[in-house]
Amino acid sequence: MRKVLAVIRREFVERVRQRWFWVMAALGPVFFGALFILPTLMMGKTSVKRIVVVDGTTSSFGARLAVRLDSEPLFVAARIAAGPGTIDSLRGAVDRKEIDGFLIVSDVAVDSGKVMYRASNVSSPVTIGSLEHVISEMVNATRLEREGVNPTLVERARIKVDLDSKKVSGGKETGENAAQSFSLAYFMGIILYMAILLYGINVMSSVLEEKTTKIVEVLVSSLRPFQLLLGKVIGVGAVSIFQFLIWGVSTRLIISQRRHLPGGGGMGDAGGFFQVPHVSASTAIVFLAYFLGGFLLYSAMFAAVGSMSSNEQEARQAQQPVVMLLVASFISMFAMLNDPGSTLSVSLSMIPFSAPIAMPVRWAAGNLPLYEVAISLGILTVSILGVTWVASRIYRVGILMTGKRPNIKELVRWVRAS
Amino acid sequence: MPQSIVAADRITKRFAGHTAVDALSLTVPPGVIYGLLGPNGAGKSTTIRMILNIYAPDSGTVRLFGEAGTGRDHSGRIGYLPEERGLYPKMRVLDVLLFLAELKGVDRRSARPKALDWLARMGLSDWRMRKVNELSKGMQQKVQFISTILHEPDLLVMDEAFSGLDPVNSQVLKDTVLELRARGKTILFSTHIMEQAEKVCDHVCIIARGKKLVDGTLADIKRTHGGKHVLVNFDGARGDADRIFADRRHVAKADVSGQFAELELAAQGDAQEVLKALVTSGARLSRFELAEPSLNKIFIDLVGPDAATASARPDAEVARA
Repeated sequence: MRKVLAVIRREFVERVRQRWFWVMAALGPVFFGALFILPTLMMGKTSVKRIVVVDGTTSSFGARLAVRLDSEPLFVAARIAAGPGTIDSLRGAVDRKEIDGFLIVSDVAVDSGKVMYRASNVSSPVTIGSLEHVISEMVNATRLEREGVNPTLVERARIKVDLDSKKVSGGKETGENAAQSFSLAYFMGIILYMAILLYGINVMSSVLEEKTTKIVEVLVSSLRPFQLLLGKVIGVGAVSIFQFLIWGVSTRLIISQRRHLPGGGGMGDAGGFFQVPHVSASTAIVFLAYFLGGFLLYSAMFAAVGSMSSNEQEARQAQQPVVMLLVASFISMFAMLNDPGSTLSVSLSMIPFSAPIAMPVRWAAGNLPLYEVAISLGILTVSILGVTWVASRIYRVGILMTGKRPNIKELVRWVRAS
Repeated sequence: MPQSIVAADRITKRFAGHTAVDALSLTVPPGVIYGLLGPNGAGKSTTIRMILNIYAPDSGTVRLFGEAGTGRDHSGRIGYLPEERGLYPKMRVLDVLLFLAELKGVDRRSARPKALDWLARMGLSDWRMRKVNELSKGMQQKVQFISTILHEPDLLVMDEAFSGLDPVNSQVLKDTVLELRARGKTILFSTHIMEQAEKVCDHVCIIARGKKLVDGTLADIKRTHGGKHVLVNFDGARGDADRIFADRRHVAKADVSGQFAELELAAQGDAQEVLKALVTSGARLSRFELAEPSLNKIFIDLVGPDAATASARPDAEVARA
């Protein structure tokens, strides 16, 4: 056991001494901050849009719409009467960036609610959302007036709905709203993916270093290959936990100071999409449990890959299948965010190779029965034991082997060898 | 004191395709320098790895220090210098030494002064906080050698001990090995260079193709395997040497290289007759000496054509179930 401790100590100390560890420690919060702040900044920076309302109505609807839009902070609007060639010249104006877009309204607008918007950018949810909101309000009011309702009454009936959504978990309302849940799930998915990949590959390069420098022969004359592997995985794992601690503390500091950061505060509605989530203790536990599970599972596979390769290039090729497993899990996260309760999501959170990313994402995104977490953790644990058993047998033979990379048949033989 | 430090009993290791070591038995007595000799691919490394329990033998047993337990169980009493040298390139010299000592069961606190002491002895004190890859190759070899003896092992095992060493380090290694023996330690090393073995070994075991050809003390082996030998050095003119050496009445075998020749006399051969014939034929001699056969000569006689057809390195292949 003392020998395993020596290996753990070496892996930890040597890694923490390296410059890249501290570069990562410093860049981590900056990067994660950027993940939140950039989208918010980009949406927050929705500049005032110059819009022309092409009025083809026979009533005053077009003119009133232009005035109403112009009164919105997001828009500067002007009215043009529809005429031959108007649309074409406006298209040219959009091209030359003289205006951002134009609306085409006719009497159909009030009759059926159909309005056309043509612009250089139609993907901004904030712009489109505001346009829809304003137009539908105007159309509704006009239709009510047409039915003889008093305009003052219509004005008085107007109310802005503020949808206050809160996640329900364990029969209680949590402090998280929909946007926070979404960003928490998104955030956890990204950090899990990156950390498992980064530290898994760390284990692989450590194995490869000992093999290529030949020092492994001295090592395994002193301790069993499994002890060596165990010390290595625990040592690198400890580095990752240490890195998380640094990130956690510094991110917390940054968040507590975010009002003072440029663009950090006062973004109003635009900032609502990405909000700094509240991380509950249970969420932190789920996150850590699945990180450790995923790290153990993947680092065992990465160690096997390292042991069967004899140089960096070979390892880079041989790691592809393992990396692909992880990438697939990561990509499927986006499907899961849409519907955390779908059959696909549930399956992914049960399959051990995708569970380390899928389960925490589901946990953060929506309420989850505890028994599902228990089953998934159970499957993951059994898989870790199985994968580690196979990987350590490949490792045991691989580290002492030189020459060409083994094929599948040889690998099977290694695993079977007593 | 046990009767033997290493006792290997009919150990066998097969790799896919061939048998690397075939029912090899050897006994290393305490306090000697023991040479495991053989051509490349004879199975020396595999034998050493089995002794150290890096590989488990397919059959046969290895007993160390007269006690139960594998090489790994006894690793605290064994120092191992593998054929292929290497250290962690990015670690500091002192840290590497402390780490490897820890793996041998020495705690860091007591390893530290010893490591510093050895570094000073090897002239590496100024380099202790430098990274391994900043050291020259020769310095790295010294560091690795320190790492194999820092924990004061009772048994030092060196695979191809002198290969890749510069002359200075080679001398340092030889001196240290002799000093260790003087302190009662046992040294087992393999080499295919007979001149080195002859200079330092008490005991040798010659193997080829995984099988033992001969073992025993160097003196015994020379007695049993040597005939009467003559060493000849020419000083310019060789006279009619080639014809005289081919005369099977006196010379059974001649090993000629340039100005030097090692002759094995025939059973009825007379060295004086050979000398007379050489001088008469006009050869100028700077040396004519009755001698024991060199280990190299015995080795070549024993190994014969095997040496030329040494099989591929066994560790390039894959272990079989």
